[in-house]
Amino acid sequence: MLRIVTPRSLGLAAVAVLAALPAFANNYLLFVGNLTLIYVILTVGLNLLIGHTGLLAFMNGTLFGVGAYATAILRLDLGWSYGLAIPGGALVAMAIGVLVALPALRLAGLYLALATVAFAQFILWVLLHWDRVTRGPSGIQVPQVDYAPLASSFEQGHYYVTLAVVVTVVWLTVNLLRSRYGRAFVAIRESEVAAESNGIDLTRYKTLAYAVSALYAGLAGGLFAPLLGIVVPESFDLSQVIVQFAMVTVGGLGSVAGAVIGAIGLVWLQEALRAFKELQEVAFGGMILLTILFMPGGVAAMLKRRLPAWREPLRRLVAGP
Amino acid sequence: MLPYLLISGLTSGALYAMVAIGLVVVYRSTGHINFAHGELFMMGGFFAYSMITLLGFPYLLSLVLAVVLSFVLGVISDRVVFRPLMKAPGTTIVLATVGFSYLLKGISRYVWGGKGEYLSIKAIVDPAPFFIWGMPVLPQQLVVLGAAILCMLAFVAFFRWTKAGKMMQATAESAFACYLVGIRVERVYTWTWGAGAAVAGAAAVLMAPLTLLTPDIGSGLLIKAFAATILGGLGSMGGAVVGGLVVGVMESLAGGYIDSSLQEVAAFVIIMVVLVFRPSGLFGAYGVRRA
Repeated sequence: MLRIVTPRSLGLAAVAVLAALPAFANNYLLFVGNLTLIYVILTVGLNLLIGHTGLLAFMNGTLFGVGAYATAILRLDLGWSYGLAIPGGALVAMAIGVLVALPALRLAGLYLALATVAFAQFILWVLLHWDRVTRGPSGIQVPQVDYAPLASSFEQGHYYVTLAVVVTVVWLTVNLLRSRYGRAFVAIRESEVAAESNGIDLTRYKTLAYAVSALYAGLAGGLFAPLLGIVVPESFDLSQVIVQFAMVTVGGLGSVAGAVIGAIGLVWLQEALRAFKELQEVAFGGMILLTILFMPGGVAAMLKRRLPAWREPLRRLVAGP
Repeated sequence: MLPYLLISGLTSGALYAMVAIGLVVVYRSTGHINFAHGELFMMGGFFAYSMITLLGFPYLLSLVLAVVLSFVLGVISDRVVFRPLMKAPGTTIVLATVGFSYLLKGISRYVWGGKGEYLSIKAIVDPAPFFIWGMPVLPQQLVVLGAAILCMLAFVAFFRWTKAGKMMQATAESAFACYLVGIRVERVYTWTWGAGAAVAGAAAVLMAPLTLLTPDIGSGLLIKAFAATILGGLGSMGGAVVGGLVVGVMESLAGGYIDSSLQEVAAFVIIMVVLVFRPSGLFGAYGVRRA
């Protein structure tokens, strides 16, 4: 019986359940469901960077914000339709992210972490102070996407569009990881020296992994802006990326299924803790630490131990004897 | 205008230098950056606040006790976060320290902070400014400046002339070789984490009268300390001090002459410029192999 539970069958079942959700959910549940889907895009991208390529960067929350703001600005100030503004916003996020990370990507991994923390704070400053474009602390009111041509309400339409994006992103990522690029990412994670001596151009592949995760973050931002109806700077401060760190760590670094599981579980937890900021910090910080210490590999590694058919190469978290 | 900006820049720079020293001490010996270092600083400030304002202890006693408590906190972070993960990849360790920093932030918000309240501490010395060559100087600024210089000299002497300091440097060079000659590497690490946290605690006690304490001060300060260490050359002790002072003066000048809100971006600009033009920093990076 347990043999049928694989990442693929679990994923198909999840898609079926998620596709059926709008039939019996009220608007609030649909909103949280939609938020969950957006976080799946974010964590799959972040996991590609941390879990598969072994690079730690703090930009995912920030580029999520850049994508959201860029989409809102393209839609309102340049009058683009959402069909263009959302991909446009994602490209803007990717371009800014890569431009900033490029000097650090050429150096040892630690520099990327240091530079992107500062970058996160810098972007927050820009969002707060570049009044003419970002409207400062009060943020930008974003109109809803018009789903009338599809004969659908905004809530349902946006949910299904996001679901379609999630399915595409997960499918692309799984295939990317199976390709020579994915193997190169994992090789870099395991040993940069060994990877380089096998002819892998470190800077090129690191930049590629970074660009893909930045693109996903920007895309998630573009879908997030109309969902919330407003983009404000404080949605994208450093705690945004900490929440995402918790999701990928708890779900399982180096596992696409783990990233999805982590996002689903923790979005609902965050929703439950929304009123208690200090509890949120303790919960997410504590979960990162406890998972690394006592459950290396997270939920995905646990599933792998329990389920005979769960074949997924996972990150070796602690170098064993 | 200029002398005033310089002295206030040097004061905050001295503070960044102290925080950066703690970061560098740990980095030199373990090869890892502690992302919870800003929160260790913040906790040091709250320890002092509790003792001075809530318990009414004299300032000097509180200073010593806060430094001791910070040292203990550093030792705890070594035992909880670093030692179990010593053989894990660097990414994992950084992630663990990030988790730890949020844990500390949440705990301090719960114990002291509420939702972003500000707590202030009385100054040790007379808060009234006096004038040197016509420019106003806060006595507390001189105290911070002096203490930072003292602290740096103490660490340089420690690394150069004591056995423990040499052991720490040797451990950084090659932990394996240290095992071979009988140095207890784990114990050296524990002392290093404690020492790093103690400097952060001292910096926090000195700084607290000049600014306000919130659970959120850690991350902003950590970024400035990062800028200081990268500018000075990652891992260079003297570089961290010079870097800290330069970051402090630069942000003070940017804030004074261009726009006061620019203070917050100076650190990022410095990091980017250094990474693009001179990644090894002013004094050369220590122990970082180019990827």
